[in-house]
Amino acid sequence: MIKDRIVTLSATILLLCIVMSVLYPSQFPTVENFSQIMLNLSIDTIVAVGMMLLMISGVFDLSVGSIVAFSGGLAGYLMYYHDVNFLLAIAAAISGSLLIGFMNGFLITKIGINPMIQTLAMMGVVRGLALMLSGSGIQNFPYEYNYIGQVKLLGLQSPIWYMIAIVLIFSYLFKNIAFFRRYYFIGSNEKAAHLSGIEVEKMKLWAFVIVALLAGIAGILLSSRLGAALSTSGKGLELRVITAVILGGASLSGGQGKIVGAFLGAAFMGIVGNILILTRVSGYWQEIILGVILILAVGIDQLIQKKK
Amino acid sequence: MKLSLKNISKSFEVVKALQDVSLEFHEGEVHAICGENGAGKSTLMNILTGNIQPDAGDILLDNQKVIIQNNQHARSLGINIVYQERSLTDGLSVAENIFPLPPTKSFGRINFVQLNQQTKALLQQLEISEFLPETMVATLSPAQKALVEIAKALATNPAILLLDEPTASLTEKETAILFSVIRTLKQRGVTVLYISHRMAEIKMIGDRVSVLKDGKYQDTLLTANCTTEDIIRLMVGRDLQQVEVTNHATEEVVLSVKDLCGKGFTDISFDLKNGEILGLGGLVGAGRTELAMAIFGATPIDSGAILKNGQRINNKHPKQSIANGIAYLPEERKTLGVFLQKSIAENIVSAQLYGNGYSVKTNNQKAREYSKTLNIRSASVQQLMCKLSGGNQQKVVLAKWLNTQPDVLIVDEPTHGIDVGAKLEIYKILKQLTATGKSILLISSEMQELLLLSDRIAVMREGKLKGILNKIETSENEIIKLAAQ
Repeated sequence: MIKDRIVTLSATILLLCIVMSVLYPSQFPTVENFSQIMLNLSIDTIVAVGMMLLMISGVFDLSVGSIVAFSGGLAGYLMYYHDVNFLLAIAAAISGSLLIGFMNGFLITKIGINPMIQTLAMMGVVRGLALMLSGSGIQNFPYEYNYIGQVKLLGLQSPIWYMIAIVLIFSYLFKNIAFFRRYYFIGSNEKAAHLSGIEVEKMKLWAFVIVALLAGIAGILLSSRLGAALSTSGKGLELRVITAVILGGASLSGGQGKIVGAFLGAAFMGIVGNILILTRVSGYWQEIILGVILILAVGIDQLIQKKK
Repeated sequence: MKLSLKNISKSFEVVKALQDVSLEFHEGEVHAICGENGAGKSTLMNILTGNIQPDAGDILLDNQKVIIQNNQHARSLGINIVYQERSLTDGLSVAENIFPLPPTKSFGRINFVQLNQQTKALLQQLEISEFLPETMVATLSPAQKALVEIAKALATNPAILLLDEPTASLTEKETAILFSVIRTLKQRGVTVLYISHRMAEIKMIGDRVSVLKDGKYQDTLLTANCTTEDIIRLMVGRDLQQVEVTNHATEEVVLSVKDLCGKGFTDISFDLKNGEILGLGGLVGAGRTELAMAIFGATPIDSGAILKNGQRINNKHPKQSIANGIAYLPEERKTLGVFLQKSIAENIVSAQLYGNGYSVKTNNQKAREYSKTLNIRSASVQQLMCKLSGGNQQKVVLAKWLNTQPDVLIVDEPTHGIDVGAKLEIYKILKQLTATGKSILLISSEMQELLLLSDRIAVMREGKLKGILNKIETSENEIIKLAAQ
């Protein structure tokens, strides 16, 4: 099934690319267009990798979009208002994100708050913090900070490289490291995992910390790439990312999914978005179409499972 | 109404749950049905309520052949069941729970006045004065809830009522109330099928008792003319299987439990010797699983100590127990034992996700070795667990725990729901393990299994250890006496 999803999704993406290349030969299959698509989906993918980890273990996090805004906002605030060195500002932003993730994980696993409620509440709290920090937006960052997200390597902008690195690293970890492998067992059968000696609560706490870390990194990259920290950054990101991860083969009940699926899901959505722009479909339609795609993907899955 | 079953058979893959069972239930009698776990009682209930269809045989209501299609159809025929698990909604009143489809006024508004009146009438009929129709279910005691459950079943006016272990969560006093309700029903001509493990109750409330064993009908006795021993003999008398029964126990104590108290058990002390199989007998709910989980560190201990090779160990989490050389094969295989959507190989390594590396290749290699030694039948070790039969799944779980190299293996109902062939294989594996110096704590509700495998048998009742019997000197009746009273 999961293998199937990776194959079917890749095939669909390939098919879309071929059709578009035939229909729009001068606009679609160009290096500029593709690097633009990749750049647009890089932030989503980085967060989606973390979300995939959570969904493999059977939970999800709605506060990631707010953490993206918070992370960029905190770094920007420290650099702009307090002349903090850019490295220190980044360290502070990442630490702040980790703390948010820790609080999510702690309250969910130790106190027993439902993950949806906890992260929904945290989504509001952290968005508020981001607003306090960046107000109507902060600009004029030190050159070094902007460099991080704007430098090019082999013609591709750096967020793309960060994305590739994170996808590769996490793919490797999930295949070869026992620690990450445990998440599959937790998502597959939490009680059996506990009796197998897996520290389920501790592992879940770590999962929330890891996703917050990735969201924090995404926030730094986004603000650095834009040269601005906006309090509205990452709005609706949680929904896009969850959609990508489910398209990529995760299941809401957990235990399934591959890291590369998170990338493919995000890539699929990025390409559909690009197609809508090229075909001059109104921007309003984009969210409608993505929503319909999610319902279709999950619906078809359910139908196939029922037949079995 | 008279209910007859004629030559009913039902199989689940290889397991023959019911074989050629014929039973007759008279109008207005309380008919108890007895049998060990896996004797086919639940299958029988499920057939009568339309949850499953028999493979062969007929069901006759007043000599008319009927095919019970589903739950609703069963109810319309006048057959209703009160399940062991409660199905009530805490946030609603007694009346609303009893009538899920209440009388309505215009625009679908619930007619509460009529609803409460009709509930009151029903409760009066049953002579239940413990609570009012308006009482919220959340405020009721377990026994009162059981009565609501019965009232709910009776609201459909059934001619035949099935009660599945109705007294499981009741005290003696509450049981008395339930029995008076059952007697009222009997007077009204309702046929009651009463499933229970408790011999005393069967003698007290039942008119006749039918016994099932391994899916086969044994006999029907008049409760007035038989003794508890007669019933027990019918339940357990089975041919001994050919398993090597050498006692491998030495005098060296491996695991020692001292005055252990926890949720569901109190003051448990025993020693487990090297190479020994210590059986742990008792009725369902006697606290055996709770004790096992606590020894394994899956649930907390209130007081007492666990000693391994004379050293006190501190099991706060299964992870520590595994490191201390203790393994636990849980009772509910599907919900606690296996990862159904994972492969055989992944299941086998699932208790060893420590250290750092995770190599698919080594895992598969390991899994293939275990498949060979334990005779796990599958297409490959990559096969998903959900595709295997119960017996093969259990062997995988056994492999998973052997792979942790334990000294002490706690097995909880290891042959629950698996076919006879696989059962024998598991018996042999367990005996062989003791020959290699491993010690086993065997929890089983099957007398025959306990007697066959155990070197000594500890019996628990209501959370307390009632005695430890030497196998040579003991019999099933003695165990049951300690376990059930």
